[in-house]
Amino acid sequence: MSETEKKLREEAKALLEQGRVDYIVGYEPGSLKFTTTPLITKDKDDVDRLVISPFMTNNLSVFLTELEGKVGIVARGCDSRSIVSLIQDKQLTRDNVFIIGVPCAGVIDMGKIERLTGKDRDEIDNIAWEGDKAVATIGGNKKEFAAKEVIMDDCLGCDTPIPQEYDILLEAAGPLACDKELSRRRIKELEEMPPEKRWEFWKNEFGRCIRCYACRQVCPACFCKRCFVEETEPPWLSPLPRWQDNLIFQMTRIIHVAGRCTDCGACELACPVRIPLRSLSKKMEEIVEELFHYKAGADKAAPPLMASYEAEEAEDFIR
Amino acid sequence: MAISDISHRQKYLAEGNVYLPHIVVIEKIIEETPTVMTFHFNFKDKKLREEFTFASGQFGEYSIFGIGEATFCISSSPTRRDHLEFAVQRVGTVTNALHRLGVGAEIGFRGPFGNSFPLGELKGKNLVFVGGGIGLAPLRSLIWNVLDNRAKYGEIQIIYGARSPRDLCFKYDLEAWGKDKTVKMTTTIDRAAEGWTGNVGVVPKVLEQAAPSPKSAAAIVCGPPIMIRYTFPVLEKLGFKPEQMLTTLEKRMKCGIGKCGRCNIGDIYVCRDGPVFSFAQIKGFFSDEY
Amino acid sequence: MKKVAKKEIYKILSQWRKDFTVFAPSREGGVAGMAVWDGKDTGFLDWYRNTVVPPKNSFLLNMEKLFDFHKENDGYKLAVPAPEKPRLIFGIRPCDAKAMAMIDMVFKDTYEDSYYLSKRRNTLLVGLGCTNPYDSCFCTSLGFDGPTDSADVDLMLIDSGEDFLIEEVTDRGKELMAKTKGTAEATQNDENKAKKAKEAAVQKVTRKIDIKEIKEKFPASFENEALWESLAAKCVSCGICTFLCPTCYCFDINDEASRGNGARYRNWDSCSFPLYTKMPMENPREEKWRRVRQKVHHKYTFYPKLFDIIACTGCGRCIRLCPVNWDITQTLTKASAKATGTEK
Repeated sequence: MSETEKKLREEAKALLEQGRVDYIVGYEPGSLKFTTTPLITKDKDDVDRLVISPFMTNNLSVFLTELEGKVGIVARGCDSRSIVSLIQDKQLTRDNVFIIGVPCAGVIDMGKIERLTGKDRDEIDNIAWEGDKAVATIGGNKKEFAAKEVIMDDCLGCDTPIPQEYDILLEAAGPLACDKELSRRRIKELEEMPPEKRWEFWKNEFGRCIRCYACRQVCPACFCKRCFVEETEPPWLSPLPRWQDNLIFQMTRIIHVAGRCTDCGACELACPVRIPLRSLSKKMEEIVEELFHYKAGADKAAPPLMASYEAEEAEDFIR
Repeated sequence: MAISDISHRQKYLAEGNVYLPHIVVIEKIIEETPTVMTFHFNFKDKKLREEFTFASGQFGEYSIFGIGEATFCISSSPTRRDHLEFAVQRVGTVTNALHRLGVGAEIGFRGPFGNSFPLGELKGKNLVFVGGGIGLAPLRSLIWNVLDNRAKYGEIQIIYGARSPRDLCFKYDLEAWGKDKTVKMTTTIDRAAEGWTGNVGVVPKVLEQAAPSPKSAAAIVCGPPIMIRYTFPVLEKLGFKPEQMLTTLEKRMKCGIGKCGRCNIGDIYVCRDGPVFSFAQIKGFFSDEY
Repeated sequence: MKKVAKKEIYKILSQWRKDFTVFAPSREGGVAGMAVWDGKDTGFLDWYRNTVVPPKNSFLLNMEKLFDFHKENDGYKLAVPAPEKPRLIFGIRPCDAKAMAMIDMVFKDTYEDSYYLSKRRNTLLVGLGCTNPYDSCFCTSLGFDGPTDSADVDLMLIDSGEDFLIEEVTDRGKELMAKTKGTAEATQNDENKAKKAKEAAVQKVTRKIDIKEIKEKFPASFENEALWESLAAKCVSCGICTFLCPTCYCFDINDEASRGNGARYRNWDSCSFPLYTKMPMENPREEKWRRVRQKVHHKYTFYPKLFDIIACTGCGRCIRLCPVNWDITQTLTKASAKATGTEK
């Protein structure tokens, strides 16, 4: 257990014991190798299970809108921006969250590991950081990978590695590799495709979508009690999983979260049929940056993007 | 246990396909209240028109092609077969579309589904009907059924109420039953309203005051969930046993045949094992999520 | 028993392809699923473990047309889709085949669902015994033969290293093999290898639950609300576990139309979704813990009450693919231990 993990458990325990929070929300080891699972607890003995791990694949702020009371939450850079974004949208008050800032070396993308090793997750014995290398042990043999080969694309392009909004910061450390270009590699491929080819690509991808709505449910920015998909008078789109309706669902969802998405990658990680959702959401945020010079979750006092208007904004689309 | 005897259930399936509706034609529309309409309809197919029958308490799945399907009980009595009826309260997409239909419109009908009121057990008993709002719809099928065979049953008392005079459904029935000397009819509204000279008070309260005797009696209760929840304790206080109290449960349904899972409570599918249940059965439900 | 060399299996599939639409494991977009076999690709021999979307997708489709409707001068006309060419699913795992037999019980009960049942009657299942179960699989705990159980398929293929040994299970399977050329007779040595392979597969399933304990104690956990509130806390109410579960069968029915003409379809639905039980005035399962409780109890308490069998075959997809790693085996164990208590 690292020093930081030790500090985390002590801090969480103190918060509960002193009644400064009602809940602690963090990560504990999952039931499968190389996974974590959210720990949501009121019990101070449970916090001994808290970890900081390379496999933190959820954005925990998604639970903040459903827990009643004050919540002490483990937050990385992207998570803390999501929390700020929720505060901007008036879904939370700052007083009701105690943000425990944690370091994040970057989330290891198991998909990348599986492709590099040719093995499935459960066929690998161990994966650990050794310095700035990821070492995978398979059948006793060790294979080394540079950090930027195995970290998630989101993390490679991370621009707020240290939480900006916190009540306590346990350690100021960010991802082991940073490569903005590499993080945009797939988006660049799509940008360079001619429109017809791009259309075929997405038609193919969304043909696999089963409308499980996991992308929506794990996203903290999707906090609507009644999603547009569930509106029936009039219906916005069909509930049937045709690729056309699946595409409309995702397009609309991404436009709805414009200005709130912090590129945490939870949507793409949740998708059971591996649709590259982040290519769409990240591109959306780049457009938001370009048009409005706005970044999600940067300033808790600022109005949400879609609820504000600046006189200098471009109006070239109004004819 | 699973229900294995399906022979009687298969009688009116279109082409043996349980999801395929029959085409029925709307023959008459009655505006009961600003939000409730009654539709009189008949099968387009002549043979079916003559042969079709059902039991009081059963329901159908009515479709507007292109909009969807919804569940409504068959509110007419099986003793009056020149046409069939169902009553619709306007609450959502399908119900609003139904309300926009005119006479002559064609819709789909699947059914009859579900179980029915146990007429055999009610024979010879004194019957207390307790209804609220549109809950009178399944009750009226049974009431007319009973009145058309009056000699087989004991005393009949009907207590019916709605929020206001405007919300009283089936006013023509209330009038007819009020005139029937073999029926004790009490109509009430929740709060006093201008021009109303009848009873005032919520249905459970009026029932308490009426204090029907539980001796050799059965109570059939139908209305909004909140009314049912307050009515059962009153009946218990009056001495009715849980087996003597019947109701029809409303739950969100889609297929109507115990497959899609929506109306599932424990090991029961409300559409297949109900919607008619005794309070004794309901007490034995695995969960209270109904 | 017959056998065929693994590298010759494409010859067998090609013969079958003449009379059936053959489905075989394929990996589109990096996601394993059953797809119409293209006539030559047998790469699945190297990578196939199990699919993400279960083969129930071939019987209870995620998008299935029930009928078309046309508005004509003399009223509405309805048309049911034509029956399909016979199909063969190659490579279905025992857990998924058993799950289909479980869903059959519901779709035959009281009313027969002709869409589902006609597909079942129209499809031959060629099972493939597992050699490399996932760490999320727990089929051996559920009271059947686990990764090589042949009870619910027409033919069962056992991987003995170089060859597939072919067990003929049903009459339809026997009929098919009688017409199939290119197989050889299995020797006693082959049959020994198959036996060893079966035993090895069972050993490889490491995840276990105490099914006796669960059968006895789990149903009582229904009343322990505090327990379910804590067990459900991290669920996000998506549809992954239910959609990818081979024994889940809830569906929705929806119409689509344009200018009076269109069709009625059914598609998958999930009791995990917040609006699943919503009625105009109330929602009996508004709270998330009620939905999570319903899902687990439906499989482990209500289904056994109706059909004498637990509606779970231990395929492990719900554990492997849940975005928050909510684990049904942990829930069952914890709930059975705390069933009669009132605290979490």
